[in-house]
Amino acid sequence: MGSALRPDARSGRRRVPLAWLALLPFFAYALGFLFIPAADTVIGAFQKQGGGATLDNVRKTLNQPYLDQYWLTIKISLITAGGGCVIGLCIAYAAIREGTPRFIRTTLTTFSGVAANFAGVPLAFAFIATLGTIGIVTGFMRDHLGFDPYQHGFTIFGETGVEITYMYFQIPLMILVIAPAIDGLRAEWREAASNLGASAWQFWRHVGIPVLLPSILGAFILLFGNSFSAYATAYGLAGNSVFLVPITIGFYLSGNVLSDPHFAQALAFGMFVVLAVMMLLYIPLQRRSARWMR
Amino acid sequence: MEDYELQEIEFWRKLEEEGMSRSAMLRRSAAAAAGLTILSGPASAWAASVGQSEADVIPKKLIAAAKKEGQLNVIALPHDWANYGQQISTFKSKYGLSMDEANPNGSSAQENQAIRSLKGDSRAPDVVDVGPSFAGPGADEGLYAPYKVQTWKSIPASMKDSRARWYGDYWGVIGIGYNANLIKPAPKSFKDLLKPAYKNKVALNGNPLTSSSAVSGVFAAALANGGSVNNISPGIDFFRRLKAAGNFIPVDGTPQTVASGQTPIVIDWDYLNLAYRKQFPAVNWRTSVPSDGVYGAHYCQAISAFAPHPNAAKLWMEFLYSDQGQLIWLKGFSHPARFQNLAKRKKIPKALIAALPSSKLYAKVKFATVAQQTAAKAKIAAEWPTI
Amino acid sequence: MRRRWIAPSAVVWIIVAAAFFLIPLVATLLFSLRSIQTNKCCSGDAYSLIIHDHQFWATIRVSFVLSLETIVISLLLFVPTTYWVHLKLPRLRPVLGFMALIPFVVPPIVLVVGLLNLYKGAPDWFYAKPYGFLATAYVILAFPYMYFSLDAGFRSIDLHTLTEASQSLGASWRTTLTRVILPNIRAAALGGSFLTLAIVMGEFTIASLANFKTFPTYIQIVNESQPYQAAALALLSFLIVWAAMLALLFIGRGRPRPAQVAATR
Repeated sequence: MGSALRPDARSGRRRVPLAWLALLPFFAYALGFLFIPAADTVIGAFQKQGGGATLDNVRKTLNQPYLDQYWLTIKISLITAGGGCVIGLCIAYAAIREGTPRFIRTTLTTFSGVAANFAGVPLAFAFIATLGTIGIVTGFMRDHLGFDPYQHGFTIFGETGVEITYMYFQIPLMILVIAPAIDGLRAEWREAASNLGASAWQFWRHVGIPVLLPSILGAFILLFGNSFSAYATAYGLAGNSVFLVPITIGFYLSGNVLSDPHFAQALAFGMFVVLAVMMLLYIPLQRRSARWMR
Repeated sequence: MEDYELQEIEFWRKLEEEGMSRSAMLRRSAAAAAGLTILSGPASAWAASVGQSEADVIPKKLIAAAKKEGQLNVIALPHDWANYGQQISTFKSKYGLSMDEANPNGSSAQENQAIRSLKGDSRAPDVVDVGPSFAGPGADEGLYAPYKVQTWKSIPASMKDSRARWYGDYWGVIGIGYNANLIKPAPKSFKDLLKPAYKNKVALNGNPLTSSSAVSGVFAAALANGGSVNNISPGIDFFRRLKAAGNFIPVDGTPQTVASGQTPIVIDWDYLNLAYRKQFPAVNWRTSVPSDGVYGAHYCQAISAFAPHPNAAKLWMEFLYSDQGQLIWLKGFSHPARFQNLAKRKKIPKALIAALPSSKLYAKVKFATVAQQTAAKAKIAAEWPTI
Repeated sequence: MRRRWIAPSAVVWIIVAAAFFLIPLVATLLFSLRSIQTNKCCSGDAYSLIIHDHQFWATIRVSFVLSLETIVISLLLFVPTTYWVHLKLPRLRPVLGFMALIPFVVPPIVLVVGLLNLYKGAPDWFYAKPYGFLATAYVILAFPYMYFSLDAGFRSIDLHTLTEASQSLGASWRTTLTRVILPNIRAAALGGSFLTLAIVMGEFTIASLANFKTFPTYIQIVNESQPYQAAALALLSFLIVWAAMLALLFIGRGRPRPAQVAATR
């Protein structure tokens, strides 16, 4: 379906070997600096201390408490990726669309560049200083609104707190990745749609989202991966209540208490599997979403 | 005889190998606290002989060789940890060597890894200060070069490797630090911490799966709740109860959370808690050694087998284990390895002892062997994620 | 009926964004302005201590040069590759996407140990200086962000038409790439570059394990021991990286208006 419009058909068969050759520098680089260390991890997951193959480490990752940790990591990643995508899209569109002054876009995209990597202990501290037991927003709510969130079960030092804090770098990441795609959403289309009597919701449902969907899906995967591998922020914020897989890997690989590099590699292998599954879900979705455009 | 008593007896037995009796040691600490000397029967002869070789004369040839190398590479030595800042600055000015300080907040695993990965590189670490559970495997792996400092004999046998590949440097006990401006009444024991007055106020220094001070905090809680160094479960259970009571904040207690008042109570090493008082005077930080559970642990020094500056490394060790170096650690509120020896020879200024909590509490200290620590860690690794 | 003024819904979103992003920074600012002695407002001591610290400037310089180097290498490597794949080998897109996710899975400590082992015998100019070894590692870290940014950018333009038009006018591949394609994906390339800059200015694990002194390792040292200075440093580094991004933007943009270029399809 759509093969008649495939680019290969236009360029001709004899170009194919040359096409692959052009990718050589990239693959050579990837081989040297990415595959080999990654393969080291995958192979190490099946080895034991002192050499020899074993399934014990991988089997251990399939038991509690690690299964819970995988689920929690996936859950937080899905929530922050989904939330980041939706909110990031809204903010990016608000900044880029017609009518919004230019400087807002510039400010937003450059700020997003910085904020997308503002993570770890400084971010944890910033949110503790904001929403902690004596944070400024908590204090404001307590003193001026008569409402103490900590009396009502809220805590920044838990799963919800981690998710809120993660948004601080997920939303900017989304803004940066989706902005070029929004540029491709021509203002004329919005105009034409409203001229034809479409509401904003109808525009988005029939024009906006379908056009942006492939990029949104790509951004979602990026945000998922970003959250999935993050650990410093969650540890600084709730190291003793939110137990995530990348944090546990650090415990076994580079801590002061435990040391079991092969088990850590087994946990990393599990992360690998999760991302592979996400990718397998992503590919057909991506193809479907782009189908009507070519 | 209870389990923990067996372990304690083991510890004292090892000390006795050096000719000191339990009562002698306790008497010495009490005496040292009061600034008096003590004479005791069989031990004094041994002690006297040690005192002779205690002349603190570092071979001039070593100093010259180290100066020729010109530099020392250290790793994972925060300046505010047991007064390492002063150790480093004193060493530099005394011998005129420059120091390259890598990764001050690195973990023990990273230190050993740095020795492995940077082998042959001039940036590789010369010396390391690691936890005992990393010192043993590191030694067995051949990462360390054996070396006996001049004052080797006065390091307790339980605190050093028989093959001199690593040696205990200083020990401390778990203390409860608290912000005296915000926290009234003062917590004096683990039992106190469960009081409703401390809701949302108690933090550990990290997660026990990665922070050795947090593991020790769990050990101390175990000792306070009917457990022992062989049975850490009551400690884990204590934190479960603390969390259920709403008193436990799962955040990592750091200088930042202490200064900002976000963690008004932190369970951490006594030397770190005591140092906070000096660092942040406005916070009025005080430290109690918990009366119901006193757990101690030491760290280990070692010279890298692939040190780019081996003579500078040896000089550093000689310095650390000299009277001057040991007292600098004591100034940092930790108990240096040669504490007993220094006390016996009346080398400890009264002011330093007065700055520490009561020595009666320290006398109750219990240590765990590496085997016991390993077993406890396995238990924590399995159970902590479910507290 | 072109919209002249900002849409009300846009105003709401922008205010929400501003509040969410600025309030935590204000909280950090308030803490950083506390006096180190009295723990109360207000004093510029923390800032002054940082600005007068020689290490602060030295490490910023190293990290900046490193990030520029990483950006250049990444663009040189990933732009032609992504272009080529989108143009000729679209079947490879998911493969590349998958590869782009690998850096997320390999824990940084595993990556650096593997790299250090692999390149132990490498010549000093590569191995001992941050500008060789670290830059190559950072290109890998930047790979997912660069790839997905460029991917979104390439999707949003009509690649085949532009290429064919350019080629039918007699341009070589190189000219096509640099003078036709690149200006059109400028926003995407800039976005990827911003992310790369931020990554390099924030990457800690690899630099510290390989024992290089970069800005993030300096930040970590301050974080662990000097709370007020740490807060000041967090804000200072935020401002500095932001300024760097603005500089990148003005260098890369020339005359802005990517939307207009896309409209010339």
